[in-house]
Amino acid sequence: MHAKKAAGFAPALADSRWVKGLLIASALAFLLLFLVLPLVSVFVEALRRGTDAYWAALVEPDAVAAIKLTLIVAAIAVPMNLVFGVAASWCIAKFDFRGKDLLITLIDLPFSVSPVISGLIYVLLFGLHGLMGPFLKSQGIQIIFAVPGLVLATVFVTFPFVARELIPLMQEQGNEEEEAALVLGASGWQTFWRVTLPNIKWGLLYGVLLCNARAMGEFGAVSVVSGHIRGETNTMPLHVEILYNEYNLVAAFAVASVLAMLALVTLVVKTVLEWRFGAELAATRH
Amino acid sequence: MAIQVSGITKQFGSFRALDSVDLEVRSGELLALLGPSGSGKTTLLRIMAGLEFADSGSLQLHGEEALGLSPRERQVGFVFQHYALFRHMTVFDNVAFGLKVRPRGQRFTTAEIRRRVMELLELVQLAHFADRYPAQLSGGQRQRVALARALAIEPKVLLLDEPFGALDAKVRKELRRWLRKLHEDIHITSVFVTHDQEEALELADRVVVMSQGRIEQVGSPAEVYDRPASAFVYEFLGQVNRFDCVVADGVAKAANGAICIPADGTVRGPAIAYVRPHDLGLSPSAGGPGRVSGIHVVGPDARVEIDLAGLPLEAEMDRERLSVLGLRPGDQCAVHIDRARVFPQP
Repeated sequence: MHAKKAAGFAPALADSRWVKGLLIASALAFLLLFLVLPLVSVFVEALRRGTDAYWAALVEPDAVAAIKLTLIVAAIAVPMNLVFGVAASWCIAKFDFRGKDLLITLIDLPFSVSPVISGLIYVLLFGLHGLMGPFLKSQGIQIIFAVPGLVLATVFVTFPFVARELIPLMQEQGNEEEEAALVLGASGWQTFWRVTLPNIKWGLLYGVLLCNARAMGEFGAVSVVSGHIRGETNTMPLHVEILYNEYNLVAAFAVASVLAMLALVTLVVKTVLEWRFGAELAATRH
Repeated sequence: MAIQVSGITKQFGSFRALDSVDLEVRSGELLALLGPSGSGKTTLLRIMAGLEFADSGSLQLHGEEALGLSPRERQVGFVFQHYALFRHMTVFDNVAFGLKVRPRGQRFTTAEIRRRVMELLELVQLAHFADRYPAQLSGGQRQRVALARALAIEPKVLLLDEPFGALDAKVRKELRRWLRKLHEDIHITSVFVTHDQEEALELADRVVVMSQGRIEQVGSPAEVYDRPASAFVYEFLGQVNRFDCVVADGVAKAANGAICIPADGTVRGPAIAYVRPHDLGLSPSAGGPGRVSGIHVVGPDARVEIDLAGLPLEAEMDRERLSVLGLRPGDQCAVHIDRARVFPQP
């Protein structure tokens, strides 16, 4: 009986090399077709008329303004989400309170809502005909079709990245190290800086990186609140779209290539971090 | 008096973890809080450390009211069941932590911190592991680091929450002896929580037996073992035979009169009797009321199961004694009870 079974397995084992090869080949082909090829084509299109045209498209005032705006929005949104994310995951992982499940669901909300709707929420709230529109107008504050709106929409869309990364990590680590620090005489701040933060630093960096990539690349929500004013409220993704719609393909792809490079850098840093993070996690796990 | 607990009550939702507990811990003693899980022993320990808040009552540490103090103000050393070492710090930095976080004015110099930490690491025999990380140590070594870290702040009292709970049997025994010796050397007032009666009886100067948020008995290990104050303590400490009996005129009868034991004058009517297996004497007797139903030999000891007129009992003796008696399964025997306690039906 056993011998028969083993005999039945043998051809499958012999085939495995063949199957393995096929699987790897199809996975590679898929990656090549859907990921590598489009990425390469971005750079090819961008450089179609040579490096001079490429540079010209990047240093053109509207493009510079778009790059600047993208950096500004990310520079405000990412630190905000860093603080919110750490605070939210701290409170979810280390404390028990009523409505905790609701809070976790709320944190996930931006992931489940279409970005267009996220943008629309702010238009409905702060727009001229929105809930708070007349009040804001009387105070001379403009949120929609201005930088504050872009920041708000970006913060909303990228909120879950840091929290999602930290909650499971902090839950797994538990409270005991913090309790030990408190009993040993550390203050709340000392406990946070010396015990909690070092324990979550790799996870935090990873979350911030993903958050940043999304903040710079966000299109839908930002598109709704931006108003597409050239040189003023256009971020890089919006600028790419405008150029593309004007059949200015070289310029569109040139700006797109900068975004693509950002994605590549993020990917490399993320891989390095994962490697580092994984090693450290394995070494420090009890 | 090092620690004075009076009327401490703690409620978790509808569960009463501590029900008006009073307890005194004497200076320099090693006290065990012993009880099954859910008896409130860990909650009491955490309240002493300030890691849990009491609903009412008072707690004095060396004569000073402490319930309003934060953990950092109480100067207690706390050792966690799962060590709770800082995983990103070396052994040295773990032990130094309590000294490094002191406010600027009270902080020692770096050299002094180094001297103290190395002295403590010598004490717990881990000086050559100073540069290792916790993950690179065994469970027993980690717990010794945790102990050194707790002692570094020169605590007035040392609190240990199931300190050997996460260790395997052999290491547990070694560490237990080692801790006993350490306590004899440094004589710091210590309270440790355990659910292992053997651990409590071997290690502690005094044992506090807890059940359902109340203290059942406080006494030396010999006292609580030989003279349990309640049926619960009798059952929780060591092996025991428990059977129903009826008390009349100061005599408890069970197994259709096959058992007659003197009872406390205050007990009357239906009651429960407790007899330890080693207080149960057997002698071979062809017409005896008992019948040997099974014999189990465990190391040097033998456990003999007896059927006494339908009542199952267990006797314990050493193997030599058993071979002298020559009892075999199925033999009839006489049963005499050397010592027993009778408690009223709850």
